[in-house]
Amino acid sequence: MPTILGELTGEEARNSTYMGLNPVVKILIPLFFSLDVLLVRNILSAASLVVLVFAVLVIAGVPMRVLRNYIILISSLSSFIVLSFVLFTNVPGKVLLECNLLTVKAEKGSLVWKVSITDEALYRAAVFILRILAMIFTATLFVATVSDRDIVQGLRDLHFPLGASVAVSLFFRGISLFLEDFRIIREAMMARGVDFEKTSLSRRFMLYANALIPLISLMVSRSYEVSLALESKGISPTTRTRRRGGAPLRKRDLSALALGVAQFLVFLRL
Amino acid sequence: MTEKVKRKVTWMHIVTFVFATAVAYVLAVVSSLIFPVLGAPGVSALYVAAAVYVPLGVWMGMWGALAGYFSCLFLGLYPSGYTLVQSIVWSFADFIEALIPALLFRALRIDPDFTVKRGWAAKIFPLLISLGTIILLLGVVVQVLWGRLGEPFTSVYVYSVYTGLALAVLGLITGLFVGDKKTWATYIVSVVLTSVASGLWGAGTLTVFNFPPPLPSEAFWPVLVGWVAGDLIVLSVLSTALLVALTPVFKRTGLYVEGWWA
Repeated sequence: MPTILGELTGEEARNSTYMGLNPVVKILIPLFFSLDVLLVRNILSAASLVVLVFAVLVIAGVPMRVLRNYIILISSLSSFIVLSFVLFTNVPGKVLLECNLLTVKAEKGSLVWKVSITDEALYRAAVFILRILAMIFTATLFVATVSDRDIVQGLRDLHFPLGASVAVSLFFRGISLFLEDFRIIREAMMARGVDFEKTSLSRRFMLYANALIPLISLMVSRSYEVSLALESKGISPTTRTRRRGGAPLRKRDLSALALGVAQFLVFLRL
Repeated sequence: MTEKVKRKVTWMHIVTFVFATAVAYVLAVVSSLIFPVLGAPGVSALYVAAAVYVPLGVWMGMWGALAGYFSCLFLGLYPSGYTLVQSIVWSFADFIEALIPALLFRALRIDPDFTVKRGWAAKIFPLLISLGTIILLLGVVVQVLWGRLGEPFTSVYVYSVYTGLALAVLGLITGLFVGDKKTWATYIVSVVLTSVASGLWGAGTLTVFNFPPPLPSEAFWPVLVGWVAGDLIVLSVLSTALLVALTPVFKRTGLYVEGWWA
């Protein structure tokens, strides 16, 4: 069964050993990394986490071209974070650059908008950017290694209620359905003569906004189909189904889990 | 005598809520990347996802509010990079976006009828409402930040408040001509309230109060202005279109929630 990323982009992790891990382990490892992000306080721990998650991505065999697609996203976010720390903040530290952007003389003084770049401001921005990078890598690891079925099975094995497990799985399914519907609507608009390449940004925004109505309408009909399918199986949202015993954890699953816990403990002390 | 049938939560509510969360999450990510507010990851000057929350609040009550909450929670985590605790607190901003219209329509017992009887009014009122409220807000910001410096900021404040208020009131009056007066008046009030309330919570939890706030406190005003202005434009233009086109669909399919959950 294709992974979530496989359904979205056609790319997925290729390492058969990692992919063969128990779904519970494939859910818990990214969860441990997400918890690590909460513990990141300085540049050393942030950089270590980025390197660690990247190493796991490589081990899992996630194609690097997937990560290459995130470069624009990461650089755009990074530049906005740096601007935030430079334009609106006056972080104390060694001043590297200072200049007045705007001066307005008023009745009782003057308004001065000053840009001040300090070493501390850049340090804080770097920690923030590294944390975002770690989260993006973690999310990629999760979506590139689990399928819809893995999510339901893994969450059920972790004693989640059936309704909640199905809902989490449907959330990811919903994203891919939405993107697929959007592609279809975009093609239909192009078939009717809309040229997305030649239209201005504001006009393009309005065109995409117009696509919202058929998209939400399609979402309603898909919800109807999916809920009918669930109800036809005789399961109501409050049904208490007896859970079958999950797949047993093998040695390699336990080793992977132990490594996950160990690295979490290391970050706890960093 | 007719006995009122007690409605129950069905898979249809849950599945629509989950799909709506997914749709809103994608829209939120796309908006915050294409139209970002400077210095605030996850905040967009044209937050298209908000256009889905308000109609969802009107149609589905608490399910809409929850869809807003969870999509914002995921947006806060990925790709904005806030911690789980920060995101849990921040996400109430989008919960509020759907909760206010849901609360107003249910508290006033209004059966939403978004039929447009006068097209010209439907086209003009979003412009007047958003422009008026944005000018009003800018005036308040100028007064709070630089009012102590006296002229010319005092005059800017006074003229902005009067002009903004006049335009917003004119927008409200025009909105009453669109169709069913109760529905449209409640909707316009909820658009303004929801933008301001979610902007205050969202900008506040990003810059002033959180565990700890992820952004510097000096960013509060730019984030607030960007948030409220973006919400007003998106809600008054896109949400109106969605409500007009899809309210009959929701009522027909049985997805329309009369109470809070069913």
